[in-house]
Amino acid sequence: MKNEATYWITLAHLPKWGFGKINALIVRFFHEEKISIEDFFNLSESDWSKRYMLSASDIQALQNAKSELPNNAFLAESLLSQGYQMVPITSPEYSRTLKLNLKATQSPSLLYVKGNRDILHQPSVAIVGSREAAGKSMGFADNIARLASKEYKVVVSGFAKGIDKQALDSAIHYKGQSIIVLPQGIATFNSGFKTYYKQIVDGDLLVLSTFPPKAGWSVPLAMARNPIIYGLADEIFVAESSEKGGTWAGVVDGLRKGRKILVRYPDPGEKNANAVLIQKGGIPVDFNGTEIQNHSFTYPLVISPQASRSLDLQADIPDRIVSALNGKPLTPLEILDICKLNISVGKLMTLLKGMELIQSQKYGKTTKYLLKSRLSAPEQKELFT
Amino acid sequence: MTLRQELEEKLKSLFKLDAFYDDQWNTIERIMKGERVLLIEKTGYGKSLCFQFPAILFDGTTVVFSPLIALMRDQVKKLNSLGIPAKCINSEQSPEENSQIIAAAKLGEVKILYIAPERQENSEWIEATRLLKLSMVVIDEAHCISVWGHDFRPAFRRIINLVKLLPAGLPVLATTATATKKVEADVASQIGGNITILRGNLLRENFRLYVVKVKSEDEKLLWLGQNLDKIPGTGILYTGTRVDTEIYAKWFEYLNLPVIGYNAGLDADSRVAVENGLMDNRWKCVISTNALGMGIDKPDIRFIVHTQIPQSPIHYYQEIGRAGRDGKPTWIILFYNPEDRRLPLSFIEGGRPSVAKYQKVISVIRNELLGEREIARKTNLKQTQIRVIKSDLIEQGIVREVMLGKNKRFEYINQAPALDPRFFEELRASKTSDLDHMIEYVDTTQSRMKYLCNFLGDSMCSEFKNCDNTGLKKIQVVYNEEWHQKLREFREDYFPILEVISKDSSIVNGVAASYYGFSNVGATLHRCKYVTKEEFPDFLLNLTLKAFRKIFGREEFDLVVYVPPTTSGDLVKNFAVRLADLLKIPISHDLVKIRPTSEQKAFENGVLKSDNVKGAFSFVNAQLLSGKRILLVDDIFDSGATVKELGHLFTNFGVEKISPIVIARTVGGDLV
Repeated sequence: MKNEATYWITLAHLPKWGFGKINALIVRFFHEEKISIEDFFNLSESDWSKRYMLSASDIQALQNAKSELPNNAFLAESLLSQGYQMVPITSPEYSRTLKLNLKATQSPSLLYVKGNRDILHQPSVAIVGSREAAGKSMGFADNIARLASKEYKVVVSGFAKGIDKQALDSAIHYKGQSIIVLPQGIATFNSGFKTYYKQIVDGDLLVLSTFPPKAGWSVPLAMARNPIIYGLADEIFVAESSEKGGTWAGVVDGLRKGRKILVRYPDPGEKNANAVLIQKGGIPVDFNGTEIQNHSFTYPLVISPQASRSLDLQADIPDRIVSALNGKPLTPLEILDICKLNISVGKLMTLLKGMELIQSQKYGKTTKYLLKSRLSAPEQKELFT
Repeated sequence: MTLRQELEEKLKSLFKLDAFYDDQWNTIERIMKGERVLLIEKTGYGKSLCFQFPAILFDGTTVVFSPLIALMRDQVKKLNSLGIPAKCINSEQSPEENSQIIAAAKLGEVKILYIAPERQENSEWIEATRLLKLSMVVIDEAHCISVWGHDFRPAFRRIINLVKLLPAGLPVLATTATATKKVEADVASQIGGNITILRGNLLRENFRLYVVKVKSEDEKLLWLGQNLDKIPGTGILYTGTRVDTEIYAKWFEYLNLPVIGYNAGLDADSRVAVENGLMDNRWKCVISTNALGMGIDKPDIRFIVHTQIPQSPIHYYQEIGRAGRDGKPTWIILFYNPEDRRLPLSFIEGGRPSVAKYQKVISVIRNELLGEREIARKTNLKQTQIRVIKSDLIEQGIVREVMLGKNKRFEYINQAPALDPRFFEELRASKTSDLDHMIEYVDTTQSRMKYLCNFLGDSMCSEFKNCDNTGLKKIQVVYNEEWHQKLREFREDYFPILEVISKDSSIVNGVAASYYGFSNVGATLHRCKYVTKEEFPDFLLNLTLKAFRKIFGREEFDLVVYVPPTTSGDLVKNFAVRLADLLKIPISHDLVKIRPTSEQKAFENGVLKSDNVKGAFSFVNAQLLSGKRILLVDDIFDSGATVKELGHLFTNFGVEKISPIVIARTVGGDLV
């Protein structure tokens, strides 16, 4: 694999392609045609067009990518020399859990990792929650991490303040194994590699990123990281969620994808949205993470008006947008109109950017949104299992 | 018109050359098809043309990795004079200058960019490569890739990794003048990718090879003293150690021969000055360790003398290969005293630290992310040994070198394999065998050129008549009493310099009465300090006085100060009192230790030695020191850490000048 790193970096970050489209191409050349990524890049344009049914613009994108191979070779060398490894989706080292959860449409085509890669194949739990969490929620995160470590389960952490950090610290404290899923490129995490040197040397930690290696932290990356955390985990525990923000968005997204999400059952009077998530389909669990059977809230739920509104409003917006776009590209104003949405254009744009299925395209001076084009080859799920 | 003819027309207009040699053309043809080539041709053949020419035809920038700054400079100068946009990036240029060149390269304004392999560690450069349009990669001095070669350089490891990651179709050219079959195979397999190997013949017809067997160091000095001036032209004399470089240079200076010393320890400006002077024939001879000359493009180096036998025929071929590129007669002289074998042997055997030391380094790196200085602190190993260990551990995939910001750190690789000492044994055996072959070269009665060519895997050589076994007269060492006397006088008048001068200190370079290992100086010191505890004898005092007169005789001093002892009582104090008395300079007893220190010899590296003495001294009546000129006395100068520390202390107290004088200076840790 080492010698292919250049090609994988080049393919994984093809501008505007998205994981679904890239993975569909990988399925074609790797599983169906059984050729290496290097051979694929060395095919003629006519092969790309005839055998792979790629459009002229896709071929152009691949040609542009190809001209960057020498440059990416320098990048790949510098990454490898720093001990970062690249695990493409075709590799047996790639996390099966991640593939199973995110499918070919949403699995990242390439993982950048440093540390013990065997950890990717252990049973795993994610412990997520708010950055501002305290008290009982932090205790819950600690307790779940303790139990996970005891049962040789890996703790997946997003390395955010609050619950994520607590879960990681606890896993380390209880000598368990963990995965840090970075909200940034892997080459920008020097201080972390210094802090967790011993854990990495001892094989107890894997640091993972799916972003271009030198990308700095940003809100969109932090949001895009959430599905990876959920995808890497066999079980998902929510310690505490407010009614907006990363945890909320992540859990709602997870529930929509049909994941089983375990939510800490809140005490009376707790000011958070745990109860709302339970109502939404989250499974209530006690302090030890055990499911609470036949629960019914014996005390009045504290749901802020804001939370209930956003629950009603946001839940089906993405679906409504997708169906609205099923056909032709639209401007944001057209989307608001067709979907009868009562939100600002700015808010809509943020929402659109966060949606995996949607891409933007310039038409003269106006930007329109459309569903990502799919390759003609049918998706072959069994090849990714 | 064939493609070759067509391009030869271009060659005329671009390089003012008429035609390609066949191997040049073979190489260029393959390069232009995007292939990988390893080209082995002797020095002066015209290897550079094989990448310079296609680089101009290609769209984009060709990056040339070269370990030799002097060579980069020469080639850039030459290309620029032909109107070809070439630049080099190296550590001797300012960061601003390098940044400008990188910026120009990003804009496509540089056709050929020379760069040191170490630059691959520089983040600015790696960033720049994101925007560079790369047309070809060249690895100059490609034997540096192989641990089986004579000049393995760890920085080349990353270049090999880069080459492995380059896409197929991007041409890669590796060139070297010196590769045995084993090195050739190693380099080719490391570069990989269906590489083609082109090897020319290595014969140098214009060389006149001599071996002079002697019985002592004196015989070398005597013959050279008598004859150096008689060898035509200008040349290079290689010694085995830096100290020998100094001694030979001083000996020739003593005889009023125009020579200059050179070693890798010189600062960049001095090195450039010597290299330029060599080009301009400013001296009869440059006396140097083998750091000089690699890649210097001077066609008329007329002679190369070795006073110390090199480690292997390949080292030797490489070093003499720098001479006589113009094809005119060139004198190649090797001195050999059977005792000389000890030095290369000690590099081979002693150069490899014990397995326990490797384990020590592994265990500290396992616990913490460390830099080289911290490793030195935590292991108390010599820095040279740490470098060897580090390089081997990287080679074995046990540790890796990472950049943390601008700092290099060494990290243990998760799930690393165990240390494999067999590899070192194999390497050591191979090097010992190479040394045996070098001695065989001395003893052979056959053609010497043929011997070298065969060793290097070139079997094409026919019979030659260009050595003292095949037609040339043998060199005999003969000398008379007059010369003997001259050498004696030189020895008695020669005092080692203590190089301690620094920008932020008022200390000046000092002097030692002798080297520790010379005659019986070291032995006497050792006996007085550790066995008899008697005062240092008069002959040491007289020798020190002589050194003082020669170096500081015309200077005024206000005060003699001596270094307070660690364990050896008042020996240094009493010695300083006697010295001050004879020099009629007041002595001060006010320099004291404010905390106990250990004996410096307990520490193996400079980092710990300077930690040991840092802040350990004070001066009782410091207010008296302002504007004073101090003669600072000690018995032995080893790393110089104590003297430098005192230099800083006195500088802080306003002392105008600190001049150190010691009885003996050690050479590379011979203190026991």
